[in-house]
Parts: sequence; C-alpha cells; structure tokens
Amino acid sequence: MPSSVIGMVRFMRSSYNDQITRGNRRALLRLCRARELLADVRSPDVSIEAAAREASLSSFHFIRTFAAVFGETPHQFRTRERLTAAQRLLACGHSVTDVCLEVGFHSLGSFSTLFARKIGLSPARYQRSLRCSVFVPDWTPHPPSCLLWMGGTEAIAVFEKTLRRQ
Amino acid sequence: MRIKLISIFVDDQDKALRFYTDTLGFRKKQDFPVGGARWISVTSPEGPEDLELVLEPNGHPAASAYQSALLKDGIPCTAFESMAIHDEVRRLKAKGVVFTMEPTAAGKVTIAIFSDTCGNLIQIYQQ
Repeated sequence: MPSSVIGMVRFMRSSYNDQITRGNRRALLRLCRARELLADVRSPDVSIEAAAREASLSSFHFIRTFAAVFGETPHQFRTRERLTAAQRLLACGHSVTDVCLEVGFHSLGSFSTLFARKIGLSPARYQRSLRCSVFVPDWTPHPPSCLLWMGGTEAIAVFEKTLRRQ
Repeated sequence: MRIKLISIFVDDQDKALRFYTDTLGFRKKQDFPVGGARWISVTSPEGPEDLELVLEPNGHPAASAYQSALLKDGIPCTAFESMAIHDEVRRLKAKGVVFTMEPTAAGKVTIAIFSDTCGNLIQIYQQ
C-alpha cells in the first residue's frame, strides 16, 4: 500500500492508466470529444457533468482521468482555453467588454482579474502592448517565422526594423 | 548541415516544461520570453547532448487542429528511444503518466505510447 498522500494519489492515478489502456482507442476518443466540448468557448454553459457524459464517465472518474491524461482538470482546461481565445480576440482589436462576453464570462471584473492573474497584464494593457508588434489581420501578431524566436527579442527587433524600412 | 532542433506543439508551455523536466527527466536548456510566448527547449541527460527538443506553443489554429487530429486517432507525434523500455514505463507510471499502449513487441522493436499531458501522444521504443 502507498505510504504517503502523494503515494496514494499516484496509486489512484495509475489505476486510471489501466482504464485508458484497456478501453484504448475508444476511451481516448471519447475523452478527446469531451475536451473539444469544453474547448468550445461559444458554448460556455456546457457543464463538467455534460462533458463527463460525452466521455461516458461519472464526473468523479472524468475529472481524474482527464487530469491524468491532460495534466490539468477540465475546469482548468476550459479556463485556459477561454483566456487563449480572449487573447486572440483582443489581438484582433475587439473591445474588452465584447471579448469578456464572447468567451463566456458574465462579469467584467472577474474576467479582468483572472486574465491579469494568468497572463500577467490586464486585458486593456495586454491589448495596448500588442500595438508595438507586427500585426497580421485576424490572427495573433508574430514574426514571419516562429523559428526566428530562437534569436530572442534582439532577432525580432531586427526583423521589425527591416519591416519598417519597407 | 545537421539536425539540431526538433519541435513539438504543446497546449501550455508551463505545463509542458513541468512534464518534460519533472516527469520525463529532461533538462531545461533554454527558456526566454519572446513575442507573448517563450522559447523553451530541453535536452535529454542520456544524450545527444546538443539535440534540443523545442516546446512550441500551439497558438496557430492549424497547430492545435493538427495536434487534436493526431491525438484522436491515437497517433504519436514523435518517438524517443529508450535503452530499457520496461523500466522506463514502470518509472513513468509511478509518476502518474497515462499509457495508451503498453510495451508491445513489434518485430525488432518494442514500443509503448503515452500522453504527454500537453495534447500529444509520444511513442517510446527500444531496438
């Protein structure tokens, strides 16, 4: 028997392992479908219970299996997806209030607080910070090749200088 | 010309760095902020010393679509070699890693597949 609390958690998680391996493809596929359901920020009212049903698991098993496979709980995953969508919309120039509602938050205050805690800047400041970057319409600002990133901020500065000269 | 970098998409760079270092045991080589994301690379203590695995954000819609389509069909996005696959699998399972394929002999190789918690399946194999 596992002696510590961590040991117990690991013991529990390893038993979910067997479930996925045994049910294999179908279990994984169902879990992926449930994850897609949670990723859809346009339907913010999908409950964890509904997602669990999609995965054909009880809520209890769903939350634990999901966390073992995806490294975060369904709730954490959904929040992260919403904030990523919010970043994208802010980058496209939508107002903070519109973005907040669009990604399924009902209160501007809790949206801004959560955004600031996870992203490090308030939504408005995040949007302002993008103005100095290169802008690709309808998508996030980025240099032409992501591999340019390996050169760090200096490489991007060089690129931006070249772009300004054009 | 030589192969120095290999990159995989991850759905969350913090989570990915934790998994690839704390769980898999790779070492962080680079980690610096760029353009709203980070340039993160890890190397394996078992070598080759200078071959870096880049943990790349999947922000572009095509990247996340590619990831989830492979995942749904159970296809690993890359493979790592192991010198002792059964020990490796036991070690990873003890850390809570979920396997979609137990070590399976396939001709001259034995393969196993696990979830990297960042939206990918990874194959490990022993020749």
